[in-house]
Amino acid sequence: MPQPRALENIRVVDFSWVRAGPWATRWLGALGAEIIKIEWPESERGRLPSSTTPQNLEVNLNTSGNFNDTNVNKKSLSLNVRSAKGLEIVKRLIGVSDIVIENFSSRVLRNWGLGYEEMCKIKPDIVYVSMSGYGHTGRNHHYTTFGPVAQSVAGLTYLSGLPDKPPAGWGWSYMDDTGGMYGAMCALTGLYHRNMTGRGQHIDQAQMVSSVPLNGPALLDFTVNKRGSRRAGFPPGNRAHWPGTPLVNNYRGPTVAPHNAYRTDPGGYNDWCVVVCHSDDEWRALVQVMGTPTPDKFATVAGRLEHQDELDAHIEAWTMTLDKYELTNRCQAAGVRALPVQSAEDRVEHDPQLRHRDMYLPMEHPALGTHKVQNAPFKMSETPAVNHLPSPLIGQHTREIVEGLLGYSHEELRAGFDDGTFWPSKRARFAYQEEMLQ
Amino acid sequence: MTGPLAGLRVLELANETGQFCGKLLGDLGADVVKIEPPGGEPCRHIGPFLDDIPHPDRSLSFWYYNTSKRGITLSLETADGRELFRRLAADADVILETFRPGHLASLGLGYDALKAENPGLILCALTPFGQTGPWRDYLSTDLLHLAAGGEMASSGYDEADVPDAPPIAPGGGQAWHMGCHFAYISIMAALVHRSVTGLGQSIDASIHEACALTTEAAIANYVYRNETLLRQTGRHHAAAPTPRTQFLAKDGNYVTALVAGRLAPKYIGELADLLDSYGMAGDLKDPKYQDPAVIAANASHIIDDLIANFIASVPAEEAYHAAQERGFTWGAVRPSEALLDDPHLQDRGFWKQVEHPELGRSFVYPGEASIYNGSPWAISRRAPLIGEHNVEIFCDELGLSRGEMSILAESRAI
Repeated sequence: MPQPRALENIRVVDFSWVRAGPWATRWLGALGAEIIKIEWPESERGRLPSSTTPQNLEVNLNTSGNFNDTNVNKKSLSLNVRSAKGLEIVKRLIGVSDIVIENFSSRVLRNWGLGYEEMCKIKPDIVYVSMSGYGHTGRNHHYTTFGPVAQSVAGLTYLSGLPDKPPAGWGWSYMDDTGGMYGAMCALTGLYHRNMTGRGQHIDQAQMVSSVPLNGPALLDFTVNKRGSRRAGFPPGNRAHWPGTPLVNNYRGPTVAPHNAYRTDPGGYNDWCVVVCHSDDEWRALVQVMGTPTPDKFATVAGRLEHQDELDAHIEAWTMTLDKYELTNRCQAAGVRALPVQSAEDRVEHDPQLRHRDMYLPMEHPALGTHKVQNAPFKMSETPAVNHLPSPLIGQHTREIVEGLLGYSHEELRAGFDDGTFWPSKRARFAYQEEMLQ
Repeated sequence: MTGPLAGLRVLELANETGQFCGKLLGDLGADVVKIEPPGGEPCRHIGPFLDDIPHPDRSLSFWYYNTSKRGITLSLETADGRELFRRLAADADVILETFRPGHLASLGLGYDALKAENPGLILCALTPFGQTGPWRDYLSTDLLHLAAGGEMASSGYDEADVPDAPPIAPGGGQAWHMGCHFAYISIMAALVHRSVTGLGQSIDASIHEACALTTEAAIANYVYRNETLLRQTGRHHAAAPTPRTQFLAKDGNYVTALVAGRLAPKYIGELADLLDSYGMAGDLKDPKYQDPAVIAANASHIIDDLIANFIASVPAEEAYHAAQERGFTWGAVRPSEALLDDPHLQDRGFWKQVEHPELGRSFVYPGEASIYNGSPWAISRRAPLIGEHNVEIFCDELGLSRGEMSILAESRAI
């Protein structure tokens, strides 16, 4: 018998698109909820444009690799929600669902006639999670974000970089990933609260606002000690402290050296490792592993912090002689904190830990073929989170949902395709849609 | 109204890697009891400190990550301590622990032993690499996780900005946040399951895996296209260089302006209006720019001349708001202290006053990531002092006499 799943019998109406919202519902799906993704090809964002379609495939609505990984464990209903008939169908769907999630701008759903009050009339205990850029309240609620903008405005971009250089920022939308986390957290928390009390609610998640609590100690250093982040030596690159600047904590752990990235053999773009010593004992263990004579001035943490440039040059002269995995193994065997900088290829192909933990397992997709998909970073003993469906083709489950779940007739389905409710009347259909209409 | 997790009892045995998860639970209403070793959890020694005076009750890092918790001290290395822990575990809903793999089981306090007394118990073990595998006993830090998780491989500089730059690990202790977000999700999923079935379970959560999952499309770029991505200043990693998005404003701050990829005639028209309102439109109002081919041929002129010059002529905040009011997804790059003055956050009641009664002072703390309209988020108390709630828990709740508690303290069990 297959193991039960945590969110068995939970149904989610998912209006979300692009990354943050879909990343949230992907995990609810892995935990066993039925995710019904509502899509419309004319206003699609997430499937197209695609920079992750395999080179040998045509770019179309069903061939984005990143869409696939972001939307496993879901079903797709193609539906024009901006039509009266579409709205009626959505309302019927909400009536048999537990959670509604969307990541539109702050007033979109309300303007459709689907505000929280309206949803409550249909399903009094609905859990409604809105994931917008700035939230549904506050004077800037109408502002728009993408990850990089939220990160900039909320202070996260400023945390990354070398002193006296422009911010290096984040090389991806950290707040799309993390916004997705908060969307899933809100949905699960609201669901638990509903199960315990019988009451639903509207939870107002905001990408920009969610970024701010990710910087707590720096904010307290300002509100308590009046020390701002606009100061010499901040941010300190990969170091815990920048030499020659006042000795203060830089909000990523204890102020120690070494604490940096170093080149490794053979010197390629991602041939780097990081090494950190939290104590004199760990430093002495590193000295043993390096096996080279070391100046006395490095013996204390104060000395290592003061002479960090020399220290780092000394360490790098050694790291450059070793492959980053070999270096990691030698250091860790001796109790020294070291790990390789890993590219995506490294993580998928070369990381023995991720391989052992089955982080990337192949899954077949009808248009993309078989590729590795990312798995959950936690193992639940009784209700494992598993990827059980590839991402849906657009509108793939329209018949199943409209006829099977909502009880419309096949004739009504066909009429809805004819009148533009389930697919734009003039747009070419995919073969699976033609089959659906037989 | 109370928070959504009111009535839930959580025991937290967590160091700097897992304490944020306890805060997430506590600020949403759970009764989180933080169990520290006698003398206090070592991460109380991480700065910065109140007035830069080091003391385990003055760590601002500890303050931030331990709001809405009560604190007791308990040594699991002693038989008395283990017995007290068993009694607490028998009535707990959730245990969050960050010990090295196998440590609790080696003390006779593994999940199976605790479950025998409490079948609904949920135990989440959050560790750097998980309970199994060749790296499970490896040491880590925030920096190490951002290296192996892939964050660093994606973040850094254009060659023109910093020649030969290393990969850069963004700051703020984000590896711990990544692990704690996923740990929270797994705990809540287990709680939902328990609310239906009554059954608990154990969870093995890995920070390394959480970090490896937090690089957006990097894995897909490799899996589907075999691409290695370049690091670029202040913007997305990419298989081939992309136009810049970070511009220096008049006041020395930067502005993030996402422009490339949006350069269509309608956008150019709106951009011309924005720049023109500052007299900075240059030739952008020329009708030739309604031709997509002309736009494409002049992308560098539009981005590197017109937009760069416009932003250079105004303060970053002004560029941000002027652009957003016209529908452009731009933002000012702010240091954290600038957030205190953000009127939008003030409108949302984001900043909270938290009382520190032992100091006779209160301080401003960051507030909620999300507004729960039916069951509010709140900081119910500042971080506990060492052993602050020992009497409350050991005497009032478990029924120890003051004398018994004193003996246990003398023997370093609490």
